[in-house]
Amino acid sequence: MSVNCDIAFTLNGVKRELSVPAGMSALEMLRERLGLTGTKYGCGEGECGACTILVDGATVNSCLMFAADCDGRDLVTVEGVVVREAGERLRDAFVACGAVQCGFCTPGLIVQASHMIERDHAGDEAAIRRGIEGNLCRCTGYRKIIEAIAAAADVTTQGAEHGRS
Amino acid sequence: MGGAEVPVAKDTLIGKRIQKLDAPDKASGRTRYIQDLEVPGALHAKILRSTQVHARIVSIDTSAARALPGVHAVITAADVPWQRPIGVAKDHLPLKTDRVRSLRDEIAAVAADSEAIAEAALKLIRVEYEPLPAVLTPGQALAPGAPLIHPEPRGTGEGPQLKTSGASVAFAGKPDNIAMTFEYAQGDVVRSEAESDIVVEDVFRLHYVTHCCMGVSGVIAEFDPGGNLLLHSNTQVPFLHKREFAELLGIDPGRIRIIQPPIGGGFGSKLDIYPFEPIAIFLARITRRPVKLVFTREEEFIASPTRQPVLLKLRSGCRKDGTLTFRTVETVHDNGAYTSWGATTPFVMMQTISSLYRVPHCKYYTRAIYTNNPYAGSFRGYGNLQATFAVEAHMDKLAEAVGMDGLAFRLKNAQDPGEVTPQGMHFNSCGFKECLRTAAGRSDFLRKQAENRARWNDTDPIKRGIGIASMLHVGGGAKIYPSDGCGTILKIDDFAHLTLITGASEIGQGSETVLAQLVCEELGLPLSAVTVINNDTDITPWDVGVHASRTTFIAGNSAIGAARKARAKILGAAAAKMGLAEDTLGLRGGCIVRSDSGEKLFELGKFLRGLHFSDRAELVMTTFYYEPPSHHQDKQFKGDVSAAYAWATQVCEVEVDTQTGIVRLLKVTGAHDVGRVLNRLGIEGQIEGGIVMGQGYALTENLMVENGVVRNPNFRDYKLVTAPEIPEMDVSFIETMDGEGPQGAKGVGEAPAICIAAAVANAIFNATGVRITALPFTPENVYRALHGAAQPPVWNDAA
Amino acid sequence: MADIKRYAAPTTLEEASEMLRAGNVTVLAGGTDLMPQTRAGRLQFQPVLMNVRRVPELGGIDDQGTMVRIGALVTITELLESQLVRERLNLLWQACNHFASDQIRNAATVGGNVCNASPAGDTLVPLLALNACAVLAAKPNGALQLRRVPLNGFFLGPGRSCRVPAELLTAIEVPLPPAGFKGEFYKHGTRPGLDIAAIAIALGARRDGAVLRDVRVAFGAVAPTPVRAPRTEAAIEGRPVDAAMLETAACTALEEVHPISDVRASDWYRRELIHNMIKRVLMHVGQL
Repeated sequence: MSVNCDIAFTLNGVKRELSVPAGMSALEMLRERLGLTGTKYGCGEGECGACTILVDGATVNSCLMFAADCDGRDLVTVEGVVVREAGERLRDAFVACGAVQCGFCTPGLIVQASHMIERDHAGDEAAIRRGIEGNLCRCTGYRKIIEAIAAAADVTTQGAEHGRS
Repeated sequence: MGGAEVPVAKDTLIGKRIQKLDAPDKASGRTRYIQDLEVPGALHAKILRSTQVHARIVSIDTSAARALPGVHAVITAADVPWQRPIGVAKDHLPLKTDRVRSLRDEIAAVAADSEAIAEAALKLIRVEYEPLPAVLTPGQALAPGAPLIHPEPRGTGEGPQLKTSGASVAFAGKPDNIAMTFEYAQGDVVRSEAESDIVVEDVFRLHYVTHCCMGVSGVIAEFDPGGNLLLHSNTQVPFLHKREFAELLGIDPGRIRIIQPPIGGGFGSKLDIYPFEPIAIFLARITRRPVKLVFTREEEFIASPTRQPVLLKLRSGCRKDGTLTFRTVETVHDNGAYTSWGATTPFVMMQTISSLYRVPHCKYYTRAIYTNNPYAGSFRGYGNLQATFAVEAHMDKLAEAVGMDGLAFRLKNAQDPGEVTPQGMHFNSCGFKECLRTAAGRSDFLRKQAENRARWNDTDPIKRGIGIASMLHVGGGAKIYPSDGCGTILKIDDFAHLTLITGASEIGQGSETVLAQLVCEELGLPLSAVTVINNDTDITPWDVGVHASRTTFIAGNSAIGAARKARAKILGAAAAKMGLAEDTLGLRGGCIVRSDSGEKLFELGKFLRGLHFSDRAELVMTTFYYEPPSHHQDKQFKGDVSAAYAWATQVCEVEVDTQTGIVRLLKVTGAHDVGRVLNRLGIEGQIEGGIVMGQGYALTENLMVENGVVRNPNFRDYKLVTAPEIPEMDVSFIETMDGEGPQGAKGVGEAPAICIAAAVANAIFNATGVRITALPFTPENVYRALHGAAQPPVWNDAA
Repeated sequence: MADIKRYAAPTTLEEASEMLRAGNVTVLAGGTDLMPQTRAGRLQFQPVLMNVRRVPELGGIDDQGTMVRIGALVTITELLESQLVRERLNLLWQACNHFASDQIRNAATVGGNVCNASPAGDTLVPLLALNACAVLAAKPNGALQLRRVPLNGFFLGPGRSCRVPAELLTAIEVPLPPAGFKGEFYKHGTRPGLDIAAIAIALGARRDGAVLRDVRVAFGAVAPTPVRAPRTEAAIEGRPVDAAMLETAACTALEEVHPISDVRASDWYRRELIHNMIKRVLMHVGQL
């Protein structure tokens, strides 16, 4: 097994110190060492976005990040996003808009969407679609996810026409 | 049961947008899926899979693996001689004995202190194979002299051999490579074909796709000191699996408890037992520790069941006035190495062939053939996507041949409420024609169709197309098991908090929310007053499981039944207390009220406390088991197998770039006969998600199986639809108010995925004049078809 | 996965180069290629894992007059957000806009993309068309030295480049194209970014009356490395943009590519795409 590295970083606003194997991913560190299971393993290859976290204010796939590379950095996971005011609003929008079905992809989307809104990259339908292009969902067809993000960002989108009934 | 009540009260919950009860936890990252569960003392298990497509196992040396520090057990078939076969045909031993028949075959398994150690141990296991000739297509499997994939019996006794004493066997072995056959007939197709003015024939090839649930497969198995098994499993059929696992272990089913953690997607993938679950159980038994086994994503692609690939030959006919006359279908199903639900998709396919539109004469024949390929399971739609793809292609072709437009032709042959099909299906509520008219009308189908066609030969390489297709699916359960019912236990406590204990599982589709909604509607309570318990076989009453889009209908009626009993008890007690007639009282806003005026008589919680703490102490606890009034099919597959049927029509608009073959799905206009909209938010989500799943099946997803190997077991090269690719969606709900459905509702879980590919095929024809009869419509496949470089599917009589 | 015996995070270029000189080092920048490749066993870790993300000399996008210096650690997102890149190196910017996903772009570095040397590397195709140069640092005799290698010639095969193990890529230098230069980047796929290209084309030129000059054409995913296409360029240079020239350019392009069949596309289809799309891109750039 590989050598251990001592790292010190901020996680959801709290300073942490840890010793991690050099080959461990940030995702494994979060889930197995720190008990934060909100961040999910979806593919381990950076293709699905289920493992999205914020590092120094930008989203990354934590499955592609080396845990050792967390040293000196500022990490925020879904658990940290939803206790901030903007994150709460986003979460409430996901719930209100019906954007959650099985929910497995949802944490990654919440984190990604919070970043998009923060950076003002959720200004219209097209921007939102591009912004979540790295997050796979198998249940919702993305429609209500887009609406939820738009609602939280206070913008309007094309919506889906749900006609007569 | 459950029919629409009289005028809807203004504070009704029906049709409203109800937030999913578990959404706040899920969106906060608090929900613990099976992968997130930590069981103290659990070992981690990994499976060693075959590296050969077809081979004899000469030897397995586990000594080095066993010696690795942190390894608690390494098992092969030799360590579990008492294992019994699993799966739909019981042809599948969890740990393979003398042979591997596909690349996913499980040969050995390790339980260790960590996943890393388990993986390291796998690498130390030495397997010696003697390769056997691989059977890679059904054609090869049926050729004379082909290697037999399953010649020998698989026993219920010790190991795979048939006891000479004649002990019963689970699987008798096959003299050839035919796993299953299905035959169905109505009327006389030979005569009908002779009397048809138009006959068309095509061969269709439907490909491998897979579920890609975002949560990978996992299981946690644990025995208590008394030998009782606790299984944390994402099964969609917990009660059926209790029996299956009991049989597997040779113990009493009463000693098995299944707890279902929240699931990261189902879509039908969890309706059969796959080897990894018994293997985890074996390890738990042998190590006497809890054992957790979770797949990697690559393993998920390689070792999970697929959708059933089908080679289908369809002959359809009609008269020159546009009346359909007959359909003859033959299919070859690549059954893969072991039999799972994919082989039984003919149950559903023959319904579409026989009854999607009015067809008096029909003949259907499927052979499911063993090969050394991956096996297919059940997957949302269950064969209906494949059958509809063929039927709706021919609806367009026949329409064109008789000079009718596609809408008029379909309307002419669409059924009306009250019809009974030759297969015995009673279409009590039926909104088929309304679906057709609504989808075609809202999408301006006819005008666009003509406009697109006029552009076939213009110079713009970017073409537009519009296509229409409909689907029929069961909407009131499917009586394929001895019971198609569901049980509910309901209690209301002293504070008017309701606990709904239902056998129906929640797989992300929102069943728990709609059931809560239905009981709140009956009892005048807010959704916040409900707790739903649905995931523990020791607690919940029996339900056959989540399949066939049955849950809202059946579990809904069951919940309503229990709620109405509770309502009767409460109002009866109130009526007695007030000296009023029971039918003058109602439940509204958490109170007992006078029905006509709405005057509040009692606050419910207070009333219930009064009922409890009285001389005749009474609690409100009720139960109800709902069995739908459907029938088992007879041996000819005829019978009214569902209590209701559902339709949908979808119109798909595409853009085809003829210089690259890229097809973009621009818009889907759908009309769904859902009986009644219950949770508007939930049903919209189901439709939207189903549309995009259908889009993936049609345009982007392709599990490439070549020479028995899955060439793209990852998301990089297996393309799920992403957000930028989704179409504009216009969805209408046709509310036909089914007399049996809960509040008039019918099932809808599978419907939206079913006819997208069929409509897209028709749209591509409308755009280009080229009919493509094989999926998927990936850019290269479409480009080849447009430029005469494709290999269209060929019917091989030997296959 | 091979064991990592030592993890280092140098903070200066000197330190990093010294470690490389000692040998047996795997370089870690964004990790977006390194992690999946080592997990899949396509790449083995060397005993030393060296994280270069804290080396300041490797960052920054600098306008140096006739040339833009892009530090090896510059992320794809930084390139996307750079007004300089968007306005003056627009061909590169377009590729960045079709690069994977936001999460990947925030971590992936241009240096990593170049050193990974994939025949389908998204930034490599426009960098080739822009005549970019790799700047490599090493300490062969104890003193830090820089070596410049034009990217055209830098890539040797899938995953292989001229960089020797003791060298660290420090920057990409991109000469500013002439005034009026415009280009188009085409990446084949059904998604905006999250695709490995079946083919990629970067075509840039400057309009001079009715003809195109300073023509640059580069292809990706159709040869063992990303390639410039000099004969295709010659077929376009100085010629009026008409149907005949488009056809000639397309046929010439086919002679300069050697696509293979793989899980993403067949060689036949790649050729069809090159033929059809070089025409389309040329039409756009030539404003036909």
